[in-house]
Amino acid sequence: MEAVGTQMWWILGLPLAGFLVQAVFGGLVVRTMGAKRGRTLMGWLAFFAVFVPFVLAVLVTRTLSSQPDEARLVMTTLFDWIRLQSLVVPFELRADTLSMTMTLVVTGVGSLIHMYAIKYMGDEKDFPRFFTYLNLFIAFMLLLVLGNNLAMLFIGWEGVGLCSYLLIGFWYKDVANAKAANKAFITNRIGDWGLTLGLFLLAVLVAGAMQDVIAHGERWLSYDVLLPQMAVVVDRHPTLAFFAALFLFIGAMGKSAQFPLYVWLPDAMAGPTPVSALIHAATMVTAGVFLLNRMSPLFELLPGVQVIVVVIGTVTALLGALIAFGQTDIKKVLAYSTVSQLGYMFIACGVGAYWAGIFHVVTHAFFKALLFLGAGAVIYTMAHEQDMRNYGNLRKYIPKTFGTMFVAWAAIAGIPFLFAGAYSKEAILGAAVNFHGEEGSLIAQIAPYAGWIGFGVAMLTAAYMTRMMMLTFAAGEERWRLAHEGAHVEQHHAHAHMHTHDDPHGFFYTDDEMASQHEEHEHHHALSAEHEPKEVPWEMWLPLVVLAIGATLVSGLFLGAPAEIASVFGLAPHALQHWLYPAAGETPHAIGFGMLLSIGTAAAIFGIAYGYFTYHGKKLGENEGMDEGKWSGFRRAAKNQFGLDAVFSDGLVRLGGVVGAVASWFDKWVVDGLVNLTGIVTRGFAGTGKWVQTGYVRSYALLMEIGVAGVLIYAVYLWMNRGVE
Amino acid sequence: MDNVLSWLVFMPLVFAVALMFLPEAQAKAVKVFGLIGSLATFGVSLYALSLFQSGTYHFQLVESVPWVPDLGITYKLGMDGISVWLVVLTTFLMVICSWFSFYIDKRVKSYFVYMLVLETAMLGVFLSLDLVLFYTFFEASLVPMALLIYKWGGDNRKYAATKFFIYTFAASIFMLIGIVWLSNLALQATGSRTFDLLVIQSAVADGSLWAGAMQAQPVIFWLFTIALMVKCPMFPFHTWLPDAHTEAPTAGSVILAGVLLKMGTYGFLRFVLPLFPDVLPDQIPVLMVLAVVGIVYGAIVAAMQPDLKRLVAYSSVAHMGFVVIGVFSLTHNGLMGGSYQQLSHGISTGALFLLVGLLYERIHTRMFKDMGGLKAKMPVFAAIFLIIMLSSVGLPGLNGFIGEFLALFGAFEVAATGQFGLGWWLPLLAGAGVVLAAVYLLWMFQKVFYGPVTNPVLERIKDLKAWEVAMCSTLVLFAVWGGLYPATFLTPMEKSIAAARQMAINEPGKRPSWTDPTLEIGENGDLVRVQEDREPLDMGRFTVASTVSPANHHAVVPTEVSP
Repeated sequence: MEAVGTQMWWILGLPLAGFLVQAVFGGLVVRTMGAKRGRTLMGWLAFFAVFVPFVLAVLVTRTLSSQPDEARLVMTTLFDWIRLQSLVVPFELRADTLSMTMTLVVTGVGSLIHMYAIKYMGDEKDFPRFFTYLNLFIAFMLLLVLGNNLAMLFIGWEGVGLCSYLLIGFWYKDVANAKAANKAFITNRIGDWGLTLGLFLLAVLVAGAMQDVIAHGERWLSYDVLLPQMAVVVDRHPTLAFFAALFLFIGAMGKSAQFPLYVWLPDAMAGPTPVSALIHAATMVTAGVFLLNRMSPLFELLPGVQVIVVVIGTVTALLGALIAFGQTDIKKVLAYSTVSQLGYMFIACGVGAYWAGIFHVVTHAFFKALLFLGAGAVIYTMAHEQDMRNYGNLRKYIPKTFGTMFVAWAAIAGIPFLFAGAYSKEAILGAAVNFHGEEGSLIAQIAPYAGWIGFGVAMLTAAYMTRMMMLTFAAGEERWRLAHEGAHVEQHHAHAHMHTHDDPHGFFYTDDEMASQHEEHEHHHALSAEHEPKEVPWEMWLPLVVLAIGATLVSGLFLGAPAEIASVFGLAPHALQHWLYPAAGETPHAIGFGMLLSIGTAAAIFGIAYGYFTYHGKKLGENEGMDEGKWSGFRRAAKNQFGLDAVFSDGLVRLGGVVGAVASWFDKWVVDGLVNLTGIVTRGFAGTGKWVQTGYVRSYALLMEIGVAGVLIYAVYLWMNRGVE
Repeated sequence: MDNVLSWLVFMPLVFAVALMFLPEAQAKAVKVFGLIGSLATFGVSLYALSLFQSGTYHFQLVESVPWVPDLGITYKLGMDGISVWLVVLTTFLMVICSWFSFYIDKRVKSYFVYMLVLETAMLGVFLSLDLVLFYTFFEASLVPMALLIYKWGGDNRKYAATKFFIYTFAASIFMLIGIVWLSNLALQATGSRTFDLLVIQSAVADGSLWAGAMQAQPVIFWLFTIALMVKCPMFPFHTWLPDAHTEAPTAGSVILAGVLLKMGTYGFLRFVLPLFPDVLPDQIPVLMVLAVVGIVYGAIVAAMQPDLKRLVAYSSVAHMGFVVIGVFSLTHNGLMGGSYQQLSHGISTGALFLLVGLLYERIHTRMFKDMGGLKAKMPVFAAIFLIIMLSSVGLPGLNGFIGEFLALFGAFEVAATGQFGLGWWLPLLAGAGVVLAAVYLLWMFQKVFYGPVTNPVLERIKDLKAWEVAMCSTLVLFAVWGGLYPATFLTPMEKSIAAARQMAINEPGKRPSWTDPTLEIGENGDLVRVQEDREPLDMGRFTVASTVSPANHHAVVPTEVSP
């Protein structure tokens, strides 16, 4: 156990060191060693700065698991970050079952994505800058999950937001990317506003509650001091505690893209695809789920907040799935799918199945990172084309990508037994429909509905993912070979002229606004009819294979299999629950495993069947794409997020503009106007209208200086004679 | 150096006088000499810092000479935890400014003379312990600053300089009246006429000064406060600031934001809290409301500015609001946060003005419409700008966060305990100011650095030179240092801040006094009586004899009555 403290600092320190090396030497190495060799070297350095921490995290986890349940906690302090008489915030880390689970996901999936990015970003001029940000992100994310107090969490929280901002705007020459980056940062800041307020409110309450025990120099924002006080706090201040938890949840909503703060995540797809996989699918966006788990001693005492969490989670899950139908950009489908899956995780937390939320974080990290990286491979091989309507029959050309993505599809669609997603979904929805709360309480009434809606969302998920796979990989026409004048080239190529020719990534999708602005311009299309897609290099497909293994049995069966299945293999049921929350017991299921399995499987099969038969063997329509028809009204509405983004973002921006204009006018003509009016009136009374021009200031200044100088000389005189006095 | 503080204050003046004898034509020599002058002063301030003891709240390195004995005016200097970092910040920023001022190409000699005179005045403000001496320096700092704007400023410099001078000068007159009035009260209370801050404060501490003049206290409070509010500046007295900032030469803007604004908040800490404790609970709500309005309003107006420098100027209004909120929360967290925010605002906003100046020297415009896409052209500049901007945004890990965090914490404690009749809207709105800061600063960054290059002038622009990178790196260093290890800066100020707080919130007789060496602030913040065997040169080491007044750092939140 002694080594754990040191290992934790290495886990955090290596990505940080990697960041510094990339930032300081990256450009130099690439210049001196040549682009190809230099980039390869720096890329692998960045990889090892994440992979070695993964190995260390495995060691720490093994050490922890060798201990009895109650001893699985190591805390280590480096120095006091803030030390006041009234407040001590140490810079401290905490290895426990929750933080190590997250660390394994962050470093494990993170290192795979680093490896993938070495090739994916290989032609990028700004290669070192990319890995600088990526290593920095890992460092902040690890600080977020490993920190032992809310202030550490907040540093990491803001830090990952910063890296997300920098990476979304990585291709900054396109204003649309900069806008997407700003939108992400500012939306997150609204969430962070909530997080800050919740944090302070909680701190004030805890300080009050611990008044009689708190001693000088006591750290009291640390989890091990703060969390045991939650019962006292809620008992003494039920209303204020409610708001503290609510504000913390607003923070989680921002980071984890919950309705209505989800609007930044789809736009965040403007960043390079490895970034989407790492930050906007596998790790950062799950920080909210982590926060709710970490603060679960508070949340589980407040059914009122749980109701809000469940409702928001359900709405998000449903909305994300519906909007995903309307997307034609492969990354946007995955973005809304992520929004939807994050909704599931919040349902889990809301109904008190916190472990199931983390379980879904883990399985989702595998299959969603895999889907994103697979999509990236498709995009890579299709000359940075992202519109699925220009794909088709790709399984023939990129079988490895197809095979691994097929696994991820099976996992997210909820195919039972073999694939991970079914297990974590079953855990969440089972907990919801079988919710055991206070009889007649609001949360007990709505939780089952959340579960049933969740099954509906599972069906939708299977359907839209099948649609994506069919459009991309299925046989039929190879649509990029067809001429598409005025068809579905309008949105993704239109702004290509914005990019300079040395930018190899001229063809990433940005947003509709840019597209509509430049509709009249000519289309640049690297994807010609003769294009022959090729399988991606091993640095790219190897991570896919590893993730695919993770997305199958491995994460599902071993971590969270229900008793009925686990017993067949002689495994512990719901192993992750026991690992994270050893005190929690198995709750009896009114709706048993067999029933849940049947419903879940039926939902999956129905969704898949719908997707398959709708898109099987049909040709792309003339204008709108093959899924035009009776659904087109809905599809168009879904594409525009049912107008929600327009209301939330544009409306807010417009409102801000009006408020700002009024405030500026007020400042200039009222506040300053009064000042100037006073000046004019005074001048009028003085009767010397020209004194400003005649050097009033200068002559006055001269007088002042003479006066001051005289006074000072007198002071010096006195000082020199001080002995005499 | 026995009289280290006098050396410190007058070192720049000595250099200024010497500079007058250099030939005007030797511009380079003048600049180097000016830089040496500010470096020498910086060196002296570091020496003073090395002598400074963090363990006591009392003034240190005190020098006292009768100045006008008949009127009770003394030449009295001293340094405590409230002033120590402001002094170092001043000398440090002056080095940066002199360094940057190598860009100045007209009337170089008088420029550097004014700069050095200004430095003497600013240091005098932070180190004076006599009210008349303080006022002298306070007003003296206006003159060189106004002249810097007037002579080396932008197109609208005359209007801005006049407005700056008259506005702040007129406001200061109120303080002068207050000073004289206060001295009269001290005469009644102690029997002798004095302007010595320490003597007056000790009369406040034991209750004798206000005993017969309680109804005068709010009036004198406002006489002081108005002058300081204009200086900060607080809404609605802020409109001189954008004009002065925008028109001032770069070094002037840096000094204005970095140091001159701090004179206002320094005055709150130095005079308002210790001298007017009885009226604070009644008057604080007004100041808090204005500070929160300033935070939100400053941020909104900042977002609408088409001019880079004006935007940064309005951001100062918002940022200084956090200082005021922290100080007047009268909680230890808030006071420490407000004081720390003074320093971090000096570094980050000073640095922002410096960076804007570096850009201006290249493209000779401050308008956003002429910018865009600079990141590709000036990657190093963009990286430095990004770090400083994030410090201004209040990103944790950089210095801006610590001050805002602690000041907000103080606001929360006020709201939670329901003190001063202030409710939850206070921290909620102040917190919203943090979000708004991200909005306008990110927009600023986007407009300057992202997107395609549209202005042909920018095609030929060159990145920072090595010396410019070195100059900016020192500021970045402090931004990172202040964010990662703020204890360096927080610890030395803590005792004096704690004393100021107890001066403001305690009953007469239980207030710390600046003249009573047997009183001290203990390690846990309590006001204690110490055994009288302290070494005068080792004030920080003492043995506690008894507790006079406990710190009560942690406010008790009223428990809700469950229905």
